[in-house]
Amino acid sequence: MVKVTDATERIAHWILAGSCLFCLISGLGLMFHAWEIIPTILGGYYATKWLHIFSGVIFGMSLAYAYYMWKKDCEFEPDDMGWIMQGGGYLWPTDKLPPVYKYNAGQKAFFWCIVIFGALIVLSGLGMWFSTALPVVAARWAYMLHAMSAFVIGSFFVVHLYLGTIGNPGTVQAMFTGKCSRAWCQTHCPRWLEDHDKNQVA
Amino acid sequence: MKNMDIVKLIDVTKCTACRGCQVACKQWNELPALRTHNFGSYQNPPDLQWNTWTLIRFQEYVDKDGKFSWLFRKDGCMHCTDAACVKVCPSGSLYHTEFGTVGVHRDRCIGCKACVTACPFDIPRYDAKSDKVSKCDLCYTRLLGDQKPACVLSCPTGALTLGDRDTMVKKAYKRVAELGGNANVYGDKFVGGTHVLYVLQEPPAVYDELPEHPKMPATVLWWKNFFKPFTLIGMGGVAGAAALHYLIKGPHEVHENKEGGE
Repeated sequence: MVKVTDATERIAHWILAGSCLFCLISGLGLMFHAWEIIPTILGGYYATKWLHIFSGVIFGMSLAYAYYMWKKDCEFEPDDMGWIMQGGGYLWPTDKLPPVYKYNAGQKAFFWCIVIFGALIVLSGLGMWFSTALPVVAARWAYMLHAMSAFVIGSFFVVHLYLGTIGNPGTVQAMFTGKCSRAWCQTHCPRWLEDHDKNQVA
Repeated sequence: MKNMDIVKLIDVTKCTACRGCQVACKQWNELPALRTHNFGSYQNPPDLQWNTWTLIRFQEYVDKDGKFSWLFRKDGCMHCTDAACVKVCPSGSLYHTEFGTVGVHRDRCIGCKACVTACPFDIPRYDAKSDKVSKCDLCYTRLLGDQKPACVLSCPTGALTLGDRDTMVKKAYKRVAELGGNANVYGDKFVGGTHVLYVLQEPPAVYDELPEHPKMPATVLWWKNFFKPFTLIGMGGVAGAAALHYLIKGPHEVHENKEGGE
């Protein structure tokens, strides 16, 4: 087994993911009147508003930490275009997939999507929280951009959930024990594994 | 008044700015008065507040011929048919009543302030202390009891009248024809028709704080008619696509003894 993540990464991931998921669920409860069951379980609409805000603050802080932690790993490189042109090997058989370093282009895209739309949803959320302090046009845009970001993050979140679990057997361990099999590393991050082995020897 | 589409007509040409409606509103709705500051006008308080749901605006106006007039306008909720505040309210606090007016379930308000920015007439007011928003509900409980709203009951000049929609629209246009000049009816031509109509002596643009072309903000339409459904369509669509991928293509298996990328 190869250690692919450290404990800090895993804890940061779960705080980010947990607060994001909680915001998503409570936010859907506030968006759809038909889903009153969600605010009811959370203690009513008023409690849901504050839980959503607090969870959003935690999301914002963990997002800032995750950005500094992973931004270097997620810088795009020229080979990423080749990976994307081959659909990451997920959609049709291919043997032209460029070998990946730590994260593939899809994972990097997910990271930057969460950074950009996460920042947008946090800032627009702050704008909604303090909307009476803003010019009315800015406040109106905040509500709209918050909904837009929720749409983007919610959709991409499902992709992440599928590819991180049943879509790629053996992957989910990276965020629990932090250890994946050597074969998994050779499949998903071969260039990183080479460096990793060199460092081990040294 | 049961099951009637109710309209309150405000004929500003008959208003003497006695502010009886402002006081009656406070009295019936048990709204406290707060200390205000004189800013050189009889208009008091200076603006609508969480505890002031209707306000007579005093405006000194000189037209292009140099003719001076003192304009009085009773400001307050317009009770839109196509109400932005109802559309954005997450908790169902704001709702359309059987009279076509916009009611408030105060206990359900969570103080999110979405309605405050969405309203094209800038009516709802937020109170930080109670963390709730309030506005005129056209005395919903009085309407239920077949009584006129407190403001209408108090009006000594007949500037405020109440009735069913068709009657009041006809009455408004009849009055405008009598008045002549720039007189016009304000409220029947936008946001699905408001349940408060004005007979104005001057064009709408002349009046302070009165939007010339009020409409549901475009941001609200994008938010509620596009991004809201698409959040579900997006998440559901992706989940469906993932399930199909799993069933058709299968998971991305790791192969032992394989060198390099797949």
